[in-house]
Formats: sequence, C-alpha cells, structure tokens
Amino acid sequence: MRFEDFKLLYMFSCVGLGLIILSPTLAVVIKLPGGERFSELWILGPSHMAEDYPFNVSGDKLYKVYLGISNHMGGLKYYRIYVKFRNQTDPLPDMVNGMPSDLEPLLEYRVFLRHNENWEMEIRFSFDYDIEGNICSVSKLVIDGYALDVDKVTEWDEEKGGFHFQLFFELWLYNASVPSFRFYDRFVWIWLNMTSARAR
Amino acid sequence: MKLEHDLRLQLVRVIGGVPMVKCKSVVCFVVFILMFSWFMDACFAVDKAVADEALIDAENDLVSTYVAVEEAEQVGANASELLAKLKFAGNLLADAYNAHRVGDYDKACSYAMNCSDRVKGIASEAAGLELEAEKAYSERLFATAAVSSAGLSLLLVLSLFGWRILKRRYFKRILGMKPEVGKAE
Repeated sequence: MRFEDFKLLYMFSCVGLGLIILSPTLAVVIKLPGGERFSELWILGPSHMAEDYPFNVSGDKLYKVYLGISNHMGGLKYYRIYVKFRNQTDPLPDMVNGMPSDLEPLLEYRVFLRHNENWEMEIRFSFDYDIEGNICSVSKLVIDGYALDVDKVTEWDEEKGGFHFQLFFELWLYNASVPSFRFYDRFVWIWLNMTSARAR
Repeated sequence: MKLEHDLRLQLVRVIGGVPMVKCKSVVCFVVFILMFSWFMDACFAVDKAVADEALIDAENDLVSTYVAVEEAEQVGANASELLAKLKFAGNLLADAYNAHRVGDYDKACSYAMNCSDRVKGIASEAAGLELEAEKAYSERLFATAAVSSAGLSLLLVLSLFGWRILKRRYFKRILGMKPEVGKAE
C-alpha cells in the first residue's frame, strides 16, 4: 500500500469514529422528517367490520355503526366531526375544491388525538318517517339520545327502488394558524333506504 | 239543639282531621310554591343569547388550552393527564353545541360553563410542563454534547499518537524490505 493511501485510510477511519462518538448529540439536535402526514376517518358496521351496514331501515328499530378517526399528523390534533343528513338532491361535500356540504350539521363530536392515536365511537340512531304515495318524509332522526328535527323529503327512486337518504360524517381539523376549524376533505357515509317494513 | 249545632259546626271545621284554617294555609303554601317555581323558571331560564355567549367563551377557553398543551407536547412534555382533561372538556363542548342545536339552552349553557371550568388552569400547567421539558432537553443536550466533546478530544489525541506510531511502523517496514534485483539482460 502506498503511503498516501495509508494516510487517507487512517483519516477516514478517524472521521468515521468521530461521527460515531458524535451521533448521540446529533440524534438530540437533528429532527428527522417523519413519513406522510394524514388523518383517517372510517365507518364500520354493527359487527365492527366493513360490512353489514344498515341499509333497509324501518322507523321502529335502533341501528348502530362505528365511527373512527386515526391521527398520523405528527403531533396532537383537535378534530371535529359533523353529522349531516341529506336526501338525494341535497349537496355533498365538494372533494375537488375541498368544500364541506352546505347542510347544517345535526350533531357534532370533538376529539383530541395524539400522533398515532385512534378514536372510535359507537353511534346509535333511529328514524321517525312517514310514507305517503311516492313521497317519504323523515321528520326526526334520533342519534345518541338527541332527537333532531330533520324534515327531509324524498321521492320514490324508480331506478334503484327505494326512498334513499344519506347519513354522512365530515371531518374538520383545527388549524391554529387561521385560527379556526377547516374542512379536512374527508367524509364517510351510509346510504339508507326507508322502505323496509313499510313496503309499498 | 244548641249542643247539636255546635257539634256540627265543629265537624265542618275539621275535615279529615285537619282544621279549616290549616287546610287554607296548605292550599296557600302549594299555590305559593307553584307560583315560585313558575317565576323561578321565568327568572333563571337561559335564553339563546346567554347560551351563545357561554359557547363562545367555552370554545375560546378550549382552543387556548389545546394550543398550550400542543406546544408542551411538541417539546416532549408528558402531558397525558392534561390531555385526558382536555378530551373530557372537548366532549362537554360537543354536548353543549348538540344541546344548543335541539334548543335546550339551559343544558347548552351548563355544559359550556362546565367545559370552561374543566380547562381552567390547564394552560398554565401546560406552560409549566413545557418549561420543564425545555429545561430537561437543554440538560440532556448539554450532557450528550459534553460526552461527545470529551470523546472527540480523546479521539484527536489518540489519533495523533496513533498516526505517529503507525507512520513509524510503516517506514520501518518499508526500509526493512530487501530490494529485489532484477536480472540484467
């Protein structure tokens, strides 16, 4: 081995050893960027699986679903979930422009979650509705003990065969720099057909 | 005859063992209680404006507390206890808004005030934890930096000595080598 090569090898070995000695301090000072930051929102059926969602509903029964959020945003976050109810003509959130639905929320939940923490809640609901001819009008929606006046009307859907309504949940995230809640561009829903047990 | 009349009069005054005067006072008392409760409701019922104000206050309190706890968490403070309180207060605020939506302003106001009470003092606790966490971070940084500096200094000294020894060995080995003589053609 030539002397210059030997010298270079020795220098690299010393620098490497120096970095190893310095690594505990570097670990304290340097904060490596985490992975992708996002929040999850999900809805599960009564068996706690992504199946058997309530669809054909009747006025005299209580239904349940599980609603959940997961935080992967890298820190403590403050969420708000709006519960909304629509017929087939009411607006849904605009996913392209990130705008929430114009409908007034019926109910809300507030959740604080740390990084990698989950929140899940059992949501029980029932309906009070009337069917007259081709018209179905839902007057009340009871969620978690709150009797809410909804007054939603829909016509018989010839194509799909039913009176269809949608119960959906919007996820909002608190933004401290604005400072206010902003729609987080995520929502989950279940379709409900109000014809069961009151067949035409 | 007079005795019989007196007895009948006495009988009329006593109804079911209660004298007439007592009966009147009981009726008056009941009426008073009913009216009092009616006026109580009228006087102490919470209207929408009061509930709105309580909700805004609770929202501001909760948000400022959240910001303080988040800052404490960011610097590595253990704010689990504060977070549990914050979560409970968050549920109360949601209940307050939900009660407000169904027109139950009494409950809305009560929940909102309860929420404000629950978060009282959490922000200052969080600030204290944040300071502690920052102090602990500085101490940890100082300790690791001190150990690393000592290690680097030792490495520098040893590497210089090591280099001298290795260099000497290298040259000794080179000089100790026998020159190979090539065959003359």
